[in-house]
Amino acid sequence: MTTLPAVSGRRRATDTAMRGITLVLTIVAIVPLVFILYYLIKEGIGAWSADFFTTDPTGRFLGNPGGIKSAIWGTIVMVALASAIAIPFGIGVALYLVEYGKGGWFANVVRYFIDVMTGVPSVVFGLFVYIVLVVTKIGGTFAAWKGAVALALLMLPVVTRSAEVVLNLVPNDLREGALALGAPRWRVVFRIVLPTAIPGLVTGSLLAVARAAGETAPLLFTAAFVFGTQFDVSQRMNSLPLQIFNDVSQAQDRLVQRAWGAALTLVLLVLLLSLIARLVQRRSRLA
Amino acid sequence: MNPDETTTTPEQSPGAPSPAVAPPPLTVSTAAAEASRDGVTAKAHSISLRKLNAFYGDTHAVRDVDLQYAANQVTAMIGPSGCGKSTLVRCINRMHEEIPGARSTGEILLDDLDLQGTGIDVVSVRRAIGMVFQKPNPFPTMSIYDNVAAGIRLSGTRGVNVKQRVEESLRGAGLWEEVKDRLGQPGIGLSGGQQQRLCIARTIAVEPEVILMDEPASALDPISTLKIEELVHELKKRYTIVIVTHNMQQAARVADTTAFMLNGELVEHAATDKIFSKPDDSRTEEYVTGKFG
Amino acid sequence: MATGEGRRHFQEELRALEQSALGAIDIVLEQLDRVLEALEHQDVELAQFVILDDDRLDGRYLEVHQGILSLLALQAPVAGDLRLVAALLHLIKHVERMGDQCVTIAKLIPLSGHEPPVRSEMLDRILRMGRAARSEVVQARAAFQARDVALAEDLARQDREINRLNREVFQLAIDIGEDPDTREWAMHMTMVARALERVGDNAVDIGEVTAFVVSGLFREFSDASIPTIPS
Repeated sequence: MTTLPAVSGRRRATDTAMRGITLVLTIVAIVPLVFILYYLIKEGIGAWSADFFTTDPTGRFLGNPGGIKSAIWGTIVMVALASAIAIPFGIGVALYLVEYGKGGWFANVVRYFIDVMTGVPSVVFGLFVYIVLVVTKIGGTFAAWKGAVALALLMLPVVTRSAEVVLNLVPNDLREGALALGAPRWRVVFRIVLPTAIPGLVTGSLLAVARAAGETAPLLFTAAFVFGTQFDVSQRMNSLPLQIFNDVSQAQDRLVQRAWGAALTLVLLVLLLSLIARLVQRRSRLA
Repeated sequence: MNPDETTTTPEQSPGAPSPAVAPPPLTVSTAAAEASRDGVTAKAHSISLRKLNAFYGDTHAVRDVDLQYAANQVTAMIGPSGCGKSTLVRCINRMHEEIPGARSTGEILLDDLDLQGTGIDVVSVRRAIGMVFQKPNPFPTMSIYDNVAAGIRLSGTRGVNVKQRVEESLRGAGLWEEVKDRLGQPGIGLSGGQQQRLCIARTIAVEPEVILMDEPASALDPISTLKIEELVHELKKRYTIVIVTHNMQQAARVADTTAFMLNGELVEHAATDKIFSKPDDSRTEEYVTGKFG
Repeated sequence: MATGEGRRHFQEELRALEQSALGAIDIVLEQLDRVLEALEHQDVELAQFVILDDDRLDGRYLEVHQGILSLLALQAPVAGDLRLVAALLHLIKHVERMGDQCVTIAKLIPLSGHEPPVRSEMLDRILRMGRAARSEVVQARAAFQARDVALAEDLARQDREINRLNREVFQLAIDIGEDPDTREWAMHMTMVARALERVGDNAVDIGEVTAFVVSGLFREFSDASIPTIPS
């Protein structure tokens, strides 16, 4: 009868040890996240009510503090505006890097700068916009659109990076096939490359949007703070991160609780965007 | 062929009275003498390469090649890996220059037009010279119909009845019967052999003059390979075809003439029959009998 | 790229097949020797042996034939290899025919009875034809093995000698006289001479096959009476 050597006891032990160690590390990493979620829900769910979502913060120390309607709308408006700026530009840069400038020295320099920008702290973007746009009083002092610009600057490298990865994933033989049919390069890009890459581009953009929605520092000195809901982008606008920032430092408990509620809302918003991104990715043909 | 139309005067019986008016002269109206066969103009196109050199940066991949591809014939390019046959073929439709750092010198003539001449639009070169690649590459976001129509749309060709052209091309590629009921389904849902025939349909939808094939069957199973080879036999009636292949048996089955390349040089170009029964060059003999490569 | 290294298995099989085919020529030479001796000494038993031993040659023919089919099906030979395989097919056929000629001669020997009325001038010539045929077969074998086209072409020249002797034998038979037994013997001898002449022709054919392997062209080696087709 043919025999094969049996599994050595030592190897079995090593296997088990590895399994155990990685499991432990995973649990240790997950635990804080679980705690954060737990506290968020525990502290924040109490603040949620119909009023919470439909009334603006009143700013009154005594009496009804109001809800966070303006903050929610503010975040939506500013993030939407920032996306409208950052996504086209971000994808545009990625298109240049992948389709037109590939291998050239200029493309390499651009990529380097983009990499650097991903590491820049978000407060620096806020400061930059503050100095360039706010202090110089271009179009007024604080304004929502300036906040959007700061957010856009933050989003740009993220969008570009992910878009570049996705565009590189488009198989080159698709481009070759289209070129060989006698298509000018711009048509290859717009009719073949982009449609193929759309799912991945959407995912990357949604993740950038989710990040921007949660940033406080860029908005501090640009869009600033205001209580009421208003949609004029040339004026100050509220936002969820700022609302949280303000409320957390208050002495009143119910304001602090409102902050928790806002935080929970923000996290849920980000969660929702990430979920959509994942759904889109699952249906993608490139993933 | 359209028959000639002739009008003649009726024979006059001898005893009949002469008509008052002189009979009209014989008229013959010719139908279009240049009648196109099967709706395709019968003009044949040849490709001539003169002193073609191709480089990847400093690497000299194709050396001083002079070669004629006769019209409406299939020419196979054979040779060991890295001999330059794919590079050479990609120079013909100017795909070679898409690679950063790549360039080519020499003349590439379509009939008597130098494709590398100044002022020649590389895009129109590629519309005249189609290419089928080793790995089938249907566009993943498009249906079967759209894939075949892609060539027409991407190249910006106007005034074409797209639906009709798509059907003709799919018939021409031997795929119509298999897909006519599911033209709206994604192109990538087909089998490998079908996908390659789809790519061929896409290529001929643009009505090129020459078709280049870079190892078109090497990724396919034997039955699909044979179907593609049958297709090549059909296609050569309308197109001039150049086919790069690693598979010598395929070259033997399919090609009218065969060119053998080694280290970037053209060693021998002759009728396929001759290359595989009594080649002139000993290097060719060694390669085809498998003594090296 | 290693030159000459590829397809070693196939090359060895091809070589073995060639040796087998050439070995068949050796068998023919043995048969030819025996049948000539039987002729000279009117040895009926030796003649019988030749007839029976032809089975060996037929067996070799089938072996080589099968080997050729196998190589064609499995190895898809091209160029020089293909010409060699095709040539071996021709060669083995000619060899088999030569064997049959020997059998024909062997069958004619007993018909003359134990004490045939031999005419030495005819028998002489026939034996000379036999030796010439033998030397042609030897030369054909050497030419093929060495792929020597000049040697192969020389066979045509040698063959003229056999043809000349054949015509002489025929003429002698015509003038042999009135005796019926002698006439009968003479008729048999003309048939023997014809068989030997066919052996010579087959040897020349092998020479043509040799030229084909080398040049890829089939050319008739003609004697001086027929102009050669320019190659």
